[in-house]
Amino acid sequence: MADEKNSEPLLRVEHLTKEFPVESGVFGRRAGAKRVHAVEDISFDIYPGETFGLVGESGCGKSTTGRTIMRLNNPTSGRVIFDGKDVAKMKKRELKEMRRNMQYIFQDPYASLNPRMTIGEIVSEPLVIHNVMPNAKERMDYVRSLLDIVGLNPEHINRYPHEFSGGQRQRVGIARAFALRPKLIICDEPVSALDVSIQAQVLNLLSDLQKQFGTAYLFIAHDLSVVQHISDRVAVMYLGHLMEYSDWKSLYDEPYHPYSQSLLSAVPIPDPDVQHSRKRIILKGDPPSPIDPPSGCPFHTRCPIAKDVCSKEVPKLREVASGHFCACHFAEPHPIKGSAVDLGTE
Amino acid sequence: MARKKKQDNWVELESQPVPGGSHLLEVDDLKMYFHTQDGVVKAVDGVSYTLDRGETLGVVGESGSGKSVTSLTIMGLIDMPPGRIEGGDVRYRGKSLLKMSEAEMQHIRGNDIAMIFQDPMTSLNPVYTIGRQLSEGMRLHLGYSKDQAMKRSIELLSMVGIPNAEQRVKDYPHEFSGGMRQRVMIAMALACDPDILIADEPTTALDVTIQAQIIELMQQMQEKNGNAIIMITHDLGVVADVADKIMVMYAGSPVEFGTAEEIFYGSMHPYTWGLIRSIPKQIEDKKQPLTPIKGNPPSLVNAPKGCPFSPRCPYAKDICHQKKPEPFYTSTGHYTKCHFANDPEFVKANAPETSRSAAARASKGGEA
Repeated sequence: MADEKNSEPLLRVEHLTKEFPVESGVFGRRAGAKRVHAVEDISFDIYPGETFGLVGESGCGKSTTGRTIMRLNNPTSGRVIFDGKDVAKMKKRELKEMRRNMQYIFQDPYASLNPRMTIGEIVSEPLVIHNVMPNAKERMDYVRSLLDIVGLNPEHINRYPHEFSGGQRQRVGIARAFALRPKLIICDEPVSALDVSIQAQVLNLLSDLQKQFGTAYLFIAHDLSVVQHISDRVAVMYLGHLMEYSDWKSLYDEPYHPYSQSLLSAVPIPDPDVQHSRKRIILKGDPPSPIDPPSGCPFHTRCPIAKDVCSKEVPKLREVASGHFCACHFAEPHPIKGSAVDLGTE
Repeated sequence: MARKKKQDNWVELESQPVPGGSHLLEVDDLKMYFHTQDGVVKAVDGVSYTLDRGETLGVVGESGSGKSVTSLTIMGLIDMPPGRIEGGDVRYRGKSLLKMSEAEMQHIRGNDIAMIFQDPMTSLNPVYTIGRQLSEGMRLHLGYSKDQAMKRSIELLSMVGIPNAEQRVKDYPHEFSGGMRQRVMIAMALACDPDILIADEPTTALDVTIQAQIIELMQQMQEKNGNAIIMITHDLGVVADVADKIMVMYAGSPVEFGTAEEIFYGSMHPYTWGLIRSIPKQIEDKKQPLTPIKGNPPSLVNAPKGCPFSPRCPYAKDICHQKKPEPFYTSTGHYTKCHFANDPEFVKANAPETSRSAAARASKGGEA
């Protein structure tokens, strides 16, 4: 995966913006000009075979980004170029063709499998829709081999989702996503509903499958340690904006954005010594509403080092180190200095 | 110390001293089984621990390990039937909670032992204002008037860090964010100044930044009030920060119990090792595959015959499949239910690196 930078990006997201109208009133009238600014002008590339992690708190627009890339939503503006074609302009037939190469793994393994279909039917459905394997026998053999690959017993092909545990269901979802051997899979919080021990199984499975098939992942999660573990590059989102992105190592070693730094410091580490000795930054308050986002930098309302300029000017995403981009007026390694107590807490 | 139903003759347990030789809360070999159509579910199967004021106990385990049912049993919140207590006892300040009448339990709940639930979205009543829900406990347990209770509610809300509390008491739960609702839950739990606060996955539904706020708040409140906390979680990271003692549960019973120090740096049970190894490391230079615990947690209906963890344990021998292990105690009260825990060679050979550092730390004088 080292030379991926030299190749053409598989997916290019350019100035993607997605707004939702706010509906109110009894008949769902669209009230005035109120809009939810879910995704604001974000751009990034994903190269073949790499894992791009997208991390942020709930409501920051990371899932909307994934859904808009797949065109489950239409973008308000901006472009999504997948394999050289603009997803937003695709006709129905082209979209279907595109989705052969772009699949989705959903967060909730309970809600994303149809309870009235057997897992054989679930996993073979993409093959039927795209008419890849018309021969039913051949198809079922292939599904059995897929179940085997994801660590399920192929003999269970005729069982229903309720007969499986959460981790096993997520394996079914993974088998379904891999059935068409797509080039890109959007993994939307694939492990956040699972226990840690099972989470590790699924993460290992995803890495193994990537090595085997060379699939690229857009890995969306709120858990930084999970994202760090699986991703080659990581982007941090806040209130619809990309705040920072770089390769996983330099983001974790040297966060340039105060938000990334505080996110990292808030992750609990299962080691009492480290936990007690390290500096923690506890942010005040909640993220602002995306209906009425703050002026200037979206983070300035909670930022411990915000200055006047932060509430006036939106900081541009700029390259602060090689391959390391950050949108902050005061970007520098570990921008928040001093002790945790006089910074974050009231 | 007869506790009668009449309010004026009521002996406040909270003001009674803890009888000599016993602890604030003693859970003694508690067994709670559910009798269902499919068979007997042994949800809690022999849980024992003690807790004193000012202490925090972390209860760690996967979903279905019985960690929530244990605390619901202590609170007397399990429907019986289908639940039935098959043995053991729970003593609060020397009095058995299991023998109390419903009226007595009602007095204990909220007043002496309060609980915070996992999901702040569903544990508040959507049709009452926050102020009214906060007042309820104080009016019932402390006999406050409506105005007194409302005044105190405002104080409590500002204490847990909700800005503009005078206005916010009049709001409904849907007008609060998830983190704010969890703050309201904490305010509600602390309203009657309880002895014991049971927090059942208090931060699981919240983002990391909000989680950090809530944990800090709970610690501040504990420092101020001196109450004990039982923190139930599946996240070892959360308890690393706050717990004095940790109980690791698996399939309804504790497999290891000790101080936080002992669990993180001197753990002797393969399941605890598995949990520690499953977590992605924050600080790593090269990506290494995780070491998951293979398989799935067992069904509590047909629990395995020997050690409950034996089907998933990479070190299981014949004896593990045949015989339930007895707890192995160290001199400090740290116990481990594993046939091989008394074999230092086994522990040394198989435990993750961090779990072997206790001896080195002790010699450096790093004992907490």
